[in-house]
Amino acid sequence: MSKVVVTGMGMLTPLGSDCASNFAAVLEPRSAVRKASDTLSVGLPNLLVAEAAVAPESLLDASYHGMDRATLFALVATQEAMGQARFAAHPDDAERVGVYVGIGFGGAHTLDGLYKRYFTALHSTTLPRKNPTVMHPLSVPRMMPNAAQAAVSMRYGLRGQSNTYTVACASSAIAVGEASRAIRHGSIDAAVVVGTEAMLTAGALVAWNALRVMAKPFEADVSASCRPFDRRRTGFVLGEGAAAMVLESATRAQQRAAPVLAEIAGYGCTSDAHHLTAPSPHGQAAAMRLALQEAGITPELIRYLNAHGTATDAGDVIECESVAAVFGSATSTLAMSSTKAVHGHLIGAGGLLELALAIMAMNSGSIPPTAHLDDPDPQCALDCVPLRARHGCDIPAVMSNSFAFGGSNASLIACRAAH
Amino acid sequence: MSLTGAIQKYLIGTAGVDPQKFEQPDLKVSDLALDSLGLVEMLFEVEDQFGFQIPDPSRYQTMSFADMVADIERLVREQNDGKLPEIALTGTRAEAQ
Repeated sequence: MSKVVVTGMGMLTPLGSDCASNFAAVLEPRSAVRKASDTLSVGLPNLLVAEAAVAPESLLDASYHGMDRATLFALVATQEAMGQARFAAHPDDAERVGVYVGIGFGGAHTLDGLYKRYFTALHSTTLPRKNPTVMHPLSVPRMMPNAAQAAVSMRYGLRGQSNTYTVACASSAIAVGEASRAIRHGSIDAAVVVGTEAMLTAGALVAWNALRVMAKPFEADVSASCRPFDRRRTGFVLGEGAAAMVLESATRAQQRAAPVLAEIAGYGCTSDAHHLTAPSPHGQAAAMRLALQEAGITPELIRYLNAHGTATDAGDVIECESVAAVFGSATSTLAMSSTKAVHGHLIGAGGLLELALAIMAMNSGSIPPTAHLDDPDPQCALDCVPLRARHGCDIPAVMSNSFAFGGSNASLIACRAAH
Repeated sequence: MSLTGAIQKYLIGTAGVDPQKFEQPDLKVSDLALDSLGLVEMLFEVEDQFGFQIPDPSRYQTMSFADMVADIERLVREQNDGKLPEIALTGTRAEAQ
């Protein structure tokens, strides 16, 4: 069984358009949460969002511009990851290189535009030549959930086994886990893994609002509205963007003298079979234990955990209970934070983004804080790194948790490259 | 703008076709090197303008460019009591969507 290593990472999120700017922002910490624009917040004056820091079109050739926003994000994040991995397009072993993508809601912008166009034409009395049934012929291939995977595969000429995972908030964590298993088991030698999400549309936002999980504006400072593990937490803020990783077998990485950033050591995935949206401590703990078992390490080695930490009332408490149950006495050396406070909840992109941030923490020794954690909830009785980053830490391994609506739980462990 | 001019504008500005190609009097649709999706994207520019869907797009792949434009004009006139309405094709994908 091959070891799986990370040789490149890329990000385009509300915090910035590369890994360095994202990591600097989570350490500072600097929040990208804002009030939604007037066009998005019609009827919802308290709507908050975390929009991408940069328009993805500005970083891509014009030939890509018609694609869905989630695909554009994926292409931008992949560019950086491929560059960092020094991985050129159309490799000689293209049949052994896959593309794995996690996305929660594919094609939200394309679908929203399609409906808008359809109903505008249907009800218009001033556009006599507009026919609601005349629709852009690429509407379907633009909005299909695997559009991003297809675009990345074609752009880089990667022909190995390639899949898209749509598992709500765990989508891209599962994409990383499944890609690493495919490499470990030898069905491919490398994979570009991407998490992407773009659903800051009016239609999607009113639907999220109806679920009553979104943060209310924090009066003193709107950018501090997402408050994981804080007594005054009210929920999460939807974000958008993408993160990407190049995974390779250690052998392939060594053969081409690629930079090795980390080893993907463990992955655990479970399903609660319990409730459509409510979390389950049993399922979460089981996923973490499976990841530890696969990594073959004890919890003491994990000194930083990037929590799912959505800042919902129930979610944060249950995650703390699950982590405490799994880590036991090792909680005394565990630092855990939720970076969603500053980049928002990137849904399908969140798992990969947060794992990548955790790897940067491991390699730099700097632990991102949980921003806005002024008044820790005693029910969240772990070291949640309130407000300020910690530097100079010795972190042999990190964990990232992603827990999804539908009851899917994914936990990933990354270790230093030569652990 | 003429129908020919509007289609050329889209093909050059958005589909990236070399403008010099349109100087060939016997230009074939196949010379434009559009794949099946590229062809229907081009037709959408016309469909969006005139509010109807053009049938059987693949037949254009074997026609000359001039014959394709003439056929499209015939279809537009059929939809508009024999007239060719004013054309204002934008040639930008963003507006088309």
